[in-house]
Amino acid sequence: MTVEVGQAWQRLSPRMLVVHPVHELLRQIPVLIGSLVLGSATGNPMWALFGLALIVGYGLARWFTTSYRIGPDEVQLRTGVLQRKVLSVPRNRIRSVSTDARLLHRLLGLTVLRVSTGQEAKGDTAFALDAVQAEQVPRLRAILLADSLAPAEEDANEPGRELARWQPSWLRYSPLSFTGLAMILAAVGLAYQAGVGAALQDSRLARSGLDAAERFGVFASLAVVVVTVLVVSVVLSVLRSLVTYGNLVLLRRDFAGNDGVLHLEHGLLRVREHTFDMRRLRGGTLRSPLLVRLFGGARLDAVMTGVDGAGEASLLLPPCPRATAEAVLSELIARPDAVTGPLRAHGAAATRRRWTRALALPAVLLIAMVVWYSWTPVWLWPIWVVLTVCCALLAVDRSRALGHRVDAEWLVARAGSLDRRRDCIAAAGIIGWTVRQTLLQRRAGVATLIAATAAGVKSYRVIDVPAELAWTIAGSASPWVADSDWARTQ
Amino acid sequence: MNLVEPANPPSRKAPLVWAIGAAIPWLVLAFGQLVWFALDRRLGLLHAAAAAVTVLGFVVFVAVVPVWRYRVHRWDIGPKAVYTRTGWLVQERRIAPISRVQTVDTYRGPLDRMFGLANVTVTTASSAGAVRIVALDSDVADRVVARLTDIAAIGGEDAT
Repeated sequence: MTVEVGQAWQRLSPRMLVVHPVHELLRQIPVLIGSLVLGSATGNPMWALFGLALIVGYGLARWFTTSYRIGPDEVQLRTGVLQRKVLSVPRNRIRSVSTDARLLHRLLGLTVLRVSTGQEAKGDTAFALDAVQAEQVPRLRAILLADSLAPAEEDANEPGRELARWQPSWLRYSPLSFTGLAMILAAVGLAYQAGVGAALQDSRLARSGLDAAERFGVFASLAVVVVTVLVVSVVLSVLRSLVTYGNLVLLRRDFAGNDGVLHLEHGLLRVREHTFDMRRLRGGTLRSPLLVRLFGGARLDAVMTGVDGAGEASLLLPPCPRATAEAVLSELIARPDAVTGPLRAHGAAATRRRWTRALALPAVLLIAMVVWYSWTPVWLWPIWVVLTVCCALLAVDRSRALGHRVDAEWLVARAGSLDRRRDCIAAAGIIGWTVRQTLLQRRAGVATLIAATAAGVKSYRVIDVPAELAWTIAGSASPWVADSDWARTQ
Repeated sequence: MNLVEPANPPSRKAPLVWAIGAAIPWLVLAFGQLVWFALDRRLGLLHAAAAAVTVLGFVVFVAVVPVWRYRVHRWDIGPKAVYTRTGWLVQERRIAPISRVQTVDTYRGPLDRMFGLANVTVTTASSAGAVRIVALDSDVADRVVARLTDIAAIGGEDAT
């Protein structure tokens, strides 16, 4: 099977005849269980077989009803077993091509190819070829990106410059994430949904467990459970991080005459590849959640038009040493001072607001505890002290984080403690400014400045800048604000 | 540097329309409470508290907020940018370059049509950058749309 450009509709790889039924079976497990139950309840095993046949048949039909064509001006995808749908994407609107191969796909040498345009596409409207043979991918990628990127055929084979490569030492940041805990919770939830909870309620296993807990003492068994959950969650987090990001490579390919592309590849089991058009890059975000920051780490997200800024899609580097993330971002935006340079702090009013916010909860608790003094258990007081100290530390850290830096080319804003982020946004990409003031902000003389862009998460905030500075910042980044009829120098 | 406030207020009928729009849900709530009171006269204190909340909400949202909003809302269109001030408790001033405008929409709700008002929404490629000019007189809105589409048509660059 070859890739052709032309009017002929082409089918996806015939190997999908194996993959689709398996995926449908996995997805329709509830239906399968339902038909099994129906079969045993009515004493007629044909029900179960009927359900199975229906699901497999639907999976097969998906292959026969899906086709695509790469025309001279647009690519089209026809899908739908019962409802027919044709999705057309103009070729010159294609911004990035990413590929993704799950385990079953990889075993069969298949790859899912996704095309992303400047428009935000979610779910139904995403253009995905699920799946084509892996050998065809480089050629398809070159064809699809040809109109928007113009990489010559030989360029596509050029190895490119390596910006970053995964190191085993990066694993030290992964135990600190909550992914392991989330996975455990999801597994427990799934087990309960499947009726394990009800089955456990009065089984011998549960009773012997309760007996053991009584013999151990409640606190000891609780401690054992907590430690087990923590250890399992750390192991799961590290494993997930290894499987998802082990072998991550970030490359930059420059083509003569344009900005080139960024190429990101990662995944041990499920291989994912993203190709980003550098012309669409509007900056980057360094994110360092508190626990990662304590160990000197940061992750890097790209701010690009046509790439969703919040999730995995924009990720360039997972938690890694801060210096690595900063070096890569400096290389991408060619402005080291925007990435690491000092920021202008937001002053006393902003700091005061951080303190009042952080201490509001302890204050309310304190009042409640004093009012109902006789009902307050003694052990609540030390807990209140610990909480207050934590809130105070949070306030200190949050007010230290606040800062911005602006010139005619870049806007840099930093904020947050539990999830600290430093957004570096290209001034040319900013297509709107909002100055927002709540009642309390007006009284404190500060304002939140919001830069709107078409890239990343769309709005980037500079929190609690002095009100008289807000439009100055906007004006220095965007000449159309400074030159407007309403601008006045004070 | 600072930006002076935009010059033009919304239509003079705007506070009235906003007040009517806000009054409808509160009147429905008050009617519900009357029905409840007619059916069940126990718990007098609870009835009184609910009535007090409704009256307070009615006064704030029907009498105070529309006037407050009318005093805050302003809009202006320059040769290169469109600029608005909106809100009451939370106030926003928003400016967007006309060269990056993608669509200009007009919206007329049932109440707006009754009073001859229109709302204009100017969208850019950023979902955070849409500028809304609300409660304009219909003829003013038409002129705004014509002017914006005129200026936007001149710039031919990719609007991202």
